[in-house]
Amino acid sequence: MGETYTARPARRQDAPKKPASSKPAEKTAQRPAPRPKRPAQRKTIEKASAKKEPPFKKAAVPAKKNVPPKRQKPDTDRQYKKIQKAQKVDAAIALDRRRAVSRSGGTAIAAISFLTAVFEILGLMLCAFKAEGTIDHQALFMAMMLAPLGLCSSVLFPRFLHIDALVMALTNFLCGVGIVVLYTVSPYYGIRQAGFYLIGLLFMIAMSEMVFRIKRFRGLTWLAMFLGIGALILPLAFGEWQFGAKNWVKIPGLGSFQPSELVKLSLVLVLAYYFSTHRTIFQMMPALIFAAACLLLLMLQRDLGTALIYYLTTLVLFYVACGNMPLTLIGAGGGIGAAMLGYKMFAHVKVRVAMWRNPWSDPTNKGYQIIQALLAIGSGGLFGVGLGQGTPEKIPAYYTDFIFAVICEQLGQIFGVLLLVVYVLLILRGVTVVSRARRSFSMLLGCGVLTMLGIQTFMIVAGVIKLIPLTGVTMPFLSYGGSSLISCMAMIGILHGASARAQDHLEEDIFST
Amino acid sequence: MKKIFSAHKGGGFIKVIKRRMRFLTILLLLLFALTAAYFCYSVYFYGGRWVANPYNPRINNQKQHVLMGTLTDRTGTVLACSDEDGVRHYSNRPETRRAVCQVVGDPGGKVSTGVETFHAQYMLGFKSSLFERLGDAFFGRTQRGDDVQLTISESLSRYISAEFPKDKRGAVVVLNYQTGEILSMVSMPQFDPMDMEDALADQEAGALINRATQGLYPPGSTFKIVTMASALQNLPDLNSFMFDCTGYYPVGSFSVTESSAHGLQTLSDAFAHSCNTTFAALSQELGYTMLGETAEQMGFNENFMFSDLIVYNSSYPIDHLSPDDLAWSSVGQGRVLATPMHMALIASAIANNGVLCEPRLLQKITTPQGGERSLPSSRTGKRILPEQISARLEQEMIRVVKDGTGKRAALSNGYVVAGKTGSAEVSNDKMIPPHAWFVGYITNDNAPYAVCVLVENGGSGGKVAAPLARKALQKAINLGL
Repeated sequence: MGETYTARPARRQDAPKKPASSKPAEKTAQRPAPRPKRPAQRKTIEKASAKKEPPFKKAAVPAKKNVPPKRQKPDTDRQYKKIQKAQKVDAAIALDRRRAVSRSGGTAIAAISFLTAVFEILGLMLCAFKAEGTIDHQALFMAMMLAPLGLCSSVLFPRFLHIDALVMALTNFLCGVGIVVLYTVSPYYGIRQAGFYLIGLLFMIAMSEMVFRIKRFRGLTWLAMFLGIGALILPLAFGEWQFGAKNWVKIPGLGSFQPSELVKLSLVLVLAYYFSTHRTIFQMMPALIFAAACLLLLMLQRDLGTALIYYLTTLVLFYVACGNMPLTLIGAGGGIGAAMLGYKMFAHVKVRVAMWRNPWSDPTNKGYQIIQALLAIGSGGLFGVGLGQGTPEKIPAYYTDFIFAVICEQLGQIFGVLLLVVYVLLILRGVTVVSRARRSFSMLLGCGVLTMLGIQTFMIVAGVIKLIPLTGVTMPFLSYGGSSLISCMAMIGILHGASARAQDHLEEDIFST
Repeated sequence: MKKIFSAHKGGGFIKVIKRRMRFLTILLLLLFALTAAYFCYSVYFYGGRWVANPYNPRINNQKQHVLMGTLTDRTGTVLACSDEDGVRHYSNRPETRRAVCQVVGDPGGKVSTGVETFHAQYMLGFKSSLFERLGDAFFGRTQRGDDVQLTISESLSRYISAEFPKDKRGAVVVLNYQTGEILSMVSMPQFDPMDMEDALADQEAGALINRATQGLYPPGSTFKIVTMASALQNLPDLNSFMFDCTGYYPVGSFSVTESSAHGLQTLSDAFAHSCNTTFAALSQELGYTMLGETAEQMGFNENFMFSDLIVYNSSYPIDHLSPDDLAWSSVGQGRVLATPMHMALIASAIANNGVLCEPRLLQKITTPQGGERSLPSSRTGKRILPEQISARLEQEMIRVVKDGTGKRAALSNGYVVAGKTGSAEVSNDKMIPPHAWFVGYITNDNAPYAVCVLVENGGSGGKVAAPLARKALQKAINLGL
């Protein structure tokens, strides 16, 4: 693990302004203390080491004061090397710390957070004063709550929680756009979505802390597997057919939810755990069987879009973890075979494909949805007809799957492209954060989350604009829906947690070498 | 075996995972780039069409709170306008209203290709910029759409409608082949946009359809222009080509027949007298690939994406033709179908030395503030025929009018007309008269007009369509358009 380290100091030596501490003696003697305590301890060391910092000969002499008498022996050259190495290591740690802090203070983050807040306030104010004579207090209240909450979560939270500020800021932007657009379309959806966002934030923090704190995942993965399978059986047992699928469960008094959204978390956790700790395909079997069982249950629910996401995520994680091309290709081939079979078996898949090839062949019935989406996008023009304008309700499922078309109509095609750019930035930032991970488990966790979000976004956007056949999945963070938003936020929480673990593992690795 | 089933391979595990993750990230980014590129592409090329779609409920919605702009013809005569209450008024003269009804459209958007629907993005202010809209909102004005001036001449359209054979259906297109401006586009029967109930009551007549752009008809002998072009391009030594027409040419188990035997003749004679058997024989020499290539080159099977108007695809069958199918196709029968607008475009391309100009319907768009909006960019002409071939075709077409089947289309005063007649059989029943066609143009540079006349079940092209074409051209010259 040390090899990444030798390359670093050259780049970093000029970066830290404070002299880094050196502590040849303590190094082996003391394992890193838990986080909160460290800075205080460091300061004393830094003070001590500050004096012996500059040129070699001067540094060597004062160093003797601190070092126990046994080590005062003449081999100063070796000792200096030791000191130097320790300095480099500590400089790296200090820099990483500083970076972690700077993540919460960058101008880009501030700008995005500020823009999001302004967008939310202006958008909701517009709704509040839209009707002449009356003021929509609900909208005002939401503006008062939502904007500070967003700012807090991306600027303040990262200071004391394990949250990556940039990821948080981008997530907030997407959620904010979703809530405001939904509120203009229908206040009911907007308010509920804001509530889901709040719950989602809590879930996110919980997930991030969970991934960060828990050291042993073995038991948890078994729990996740059982809960996941159980949750996926629920709609089959108690659900009702809705839009050709049976993927909703009603909980009396609480409303309905979509288990397949939440089971995504289990899937990522289980796959990441088994793929990172086990070396042969037979040892990985539990995870693969779990994934296969999920796929089967989703097929039975006719929730084919979600099944596709599960399948692709499993395949991608398998490839990333194993790099075994032949097996990955076999898996991909199996997927294509299953897709062909699905095309033959399910009539509505055939309809979807036909409507993708030419929706104009049945513009008032089967092609109605996709055509209305295209007409909405076209009617919006480059800059949109304006927030709260237009006729989104003509598109079936405009508040969930087709929210992208609604946003394009209201805010313009350029804004649509901008949204795509924001998703790309989120993914890129996620990859950067995950790349810092020092354990394959965290890395695969983050990778799985990003794959899921990326594939889902691509599938729905490309479906709405008729690049690929339409698959009924939600648009992450934007679509209305509690299960969807909460599961997406929880996935972002996993990302935060995985990146926070990197810090700890870094220190662990350094002190264990 | 072991190698396959041991999932991990040696090496720095984290580093390897990181590398694979980067690879997949790039893949995902490519997918997103593809999505964004496709989004931009489809919005740029089809966005306007999506707005103008008759299935778009927003057009009718927009009519509720936006005043539709005024529509005028090329001389400024008002064809349609909205009063302050948003009620749409059409021209005061019933003849004018009827003559341009399919081009203009109707208040309910029933004519899907009318300017009021297809160019709703201008007329209903979808194109107005943010500042213009803000200005309207600030001053409390009702938003107005843009005023649109068409290239159509109201008086020419009215004249052609009056001269069209009574109680017949069909279409006439007159356009300027140098600029591509459509001077007149008349489709019979017609309806009165001020009396929609009447028009909707008799939907069977198809008055709501613009037959010039949406009507697909067998082109009959006018298609011989295409067969001729293909022969000139692909077959050597056509000058020495002689064919003995016996009024009968056997192909496979069928035969192509002619009412009378023309005797021994050159290709030029055959074209002038519109001899089916000669062209059937030519088609056998050409084969379906070569003829199909030429037909597609000249716009058959092509989805015309003209920015100003919708023209339906003409079709030429390119699947493996049987010899008799090919023979019938070469004389514009069988499965070959064309719109009158497309035939007019072919004639204008020949007039234009083989270059096809995009047809234009919009002359000028004026914003409510008095500014001028830029028109959708005109594509530069597309060459569909080599220059010498189109020159040769012009010679042949001049001969058709001079001493062939199209004599009745000839103009006086030094105007030379080139053209081709057609009588397309639509039934085996000899009692049903064929569709009468005439396509042609004036070769003189000071009167660059191309024309296409189609009279459904009108009879012989030379007797019915050619005189109407002459009248239309003469009127266009008189009006000095």
